[in-house]
Amino acid sequence: MILANALRVLLCLDEILHSLAGPSSLAGHDPHGWRTPVDCVRANELCAAESSCSSRYRTLRQCLAGRDRNTMLANKECQAALEVLQESPLYDCRCKRGMKKELQCLQIYWSIHLGLTEGEEFYEASPYEPVTSRLSDIFRLASIFSGMDPATNSKSNHCLDAAKACNLNDNCKRLRSGYISTCSKEISATERCNRRKCHKALRQFFDRVPSEYTYRLLFCSCKDQACAERRRQTIVPSCSYEDKEKPNCLDLRNMCRTDHLCRSRLADFHTNCQVSFQSLTSCPGDNYQACLGSYAGMIGFDMTPNYIDSSTSSITVSPWCSCKGSGNLEEECEKFLRDFTENPCLRNAIQAFGNGTDVNLSPKNPSPPVTVPPKTENNPNLPDDVNDSNTLYDTSVITTCTSIQEHGQKLNKSKEQNVCISETQLPTDSMPDPNTFLDPKASSSRHSAGVILSTISFFLVKLAL
Amino acid sequence: NRMKRARARHKPCALKELEVSISELGLGFMSDEIVLFRYCSGTCNAPGQNYDISLQNMRSKKKIKKEKVRARPCCRPLSYDDEVSFLDNNNRYHTVNKLSAKECGCV
Repeated sequence: MILANALRVLLCLDEILHSLAGPSSLAGHDPHGWRTPVDCVRANELCAAESSCSSRYRTLRQCLAGRDRNTMLANKECQAALEVLQESPLYDCRCKRGMKKELQCLQIYWSIHLGLTEGEEFYEASPYEPVTSRLSDIFRLASIFSGMDPATNSKSNHCLDAAKACNLNDNCKRLRSGYISTCSKEISATERCNRRKCHKALRQFFDRVPSEYTYRLLFCSCKDQACAERRRQTIVPSCSYEDKEKPNCLDLRNMCRTDHLCRSRLADFHTNCQVSFQSLTSCPGDNYQACLGSYAGMIGFDMTPNYIDSSTSSITVSPWCSCKGSGNLEEECEKFLRDFTENPCLRNAIQAFGNGTDVNLSPKNPSPPVTVPPKTENNPNLPDDVNDSNTLYDTSVITTCTSIQEHGQKLNKSKEQNVCISETQLPTDSMPDPNTFLDPKASSSRHSAGVILSTISFFLVKLAL
Repeated sequence: NRMKRARARHKPCALKELEVSISELGLGFMSDEIVLFRYCSGTCNAPGQNYDISLQNMRSKKKIKKEKVRARPCCRPLSYDDEVSFLDNNNRYHTVNKLSAKECGCV
């Protein structure tokens, strides 16, 4: 017990160190790091309070309405409006995924940025704030999850375990059942389902359920075909993904770009999953979580991606489109499609999540990656009295000791703090409070040791990669 | 031990839960997915309503003989949980309603 306590303190220290390292790495990830991004709804309010800004903004919106960039810039007045607005808070503003008034925020963003960019660029900058949350949390969860159920370890189906974890959480179960029943409801002999409603329900699921549940369902690792087929079925592809015909990918992209939300999610994917040759993981800033998040963010839109088959050896994802009929744009189309089908960043991120590994690197803070506690590890937290507590031991095993950073960034960017409330027990039915350090019960010493060991011993894994 | 059992039998009507696979539910679906099955269990000890007392008396006085009546309240769900969806072992999705209790009471 003393050992366990000592380890707990160490674990806590480890977390503090991580969170202290947080802000510096944050700046490194943010391409506009020198200016703190304001959300566009707020920026719009600031602009509206200032008469010169608001009149220019009004002018610009009229300029852009129904016109492309070049015809707009031919007009002196429009050009002047754009130049003035580049100095306003509107120029740097960003949006948050799942925020209140997300659509409004994105409309404001694109109203400025469509005038600033060429419009038909291959990659567009993401209108979303960069993901600054600590990378390792979600992966640590994944690693804990994947080490569960020691009895069935040899024949385990992680996708089935993920479904179980979701079913045992009321919120996850409700929203999962919500999209499944909507997406599998047949309307008539000709219409398989209401695709629009199905997409909406899927978006609700991925927006409102914490990613420790949704990623686990979407990115579970598989050893056999039954598991991989379950993984492919996660989004009910017969309704949300497949269609009678496969459109051309560039046509699909154009369709997506007419919708502010779809356009933004695609731009976010291109920003966070674009193959980077400078990083070890092929991901920008070695940030797996940002890539997985923006991948999941496209589900429920025209560009919905999914696994193309139930193969276990190779993971290939793609939107429902092909490069047939591309004409002279064949090359561009292939390039677009390859960002899904042959993207080492995305593939590494999916595999790392499935295996419970992560590489936590940032340019200014070359600390080693947080890796998995060994897979064979016993679940330290099975309830003693099985009769009494068929409740969520899944959530009670989570050990988080997170910095306020992710949740309180708006309040105070410079003063990150870490709250570690030891010996606090989670109410069984609720979601884990990210600011609470959970005592993973007495027998957790092995587990804590695993985490610490892995946080210290990174380079081995790096070399292995 | 007997005391324990006796006390368990006299727990008041309340919601309990169990982790079971869909197949185990015996509804004809074959799926290894685990769901939370919530049910009502316990005794209803509250003094019977005038209805129950009267019914008992009518029965003992043989005014009611052949009909099947119940002169004590039962621990039953007052409302049911939302629908539950799952993928079966043939990779087809199903949704079942009113599978699980949400609230229990003596009725």
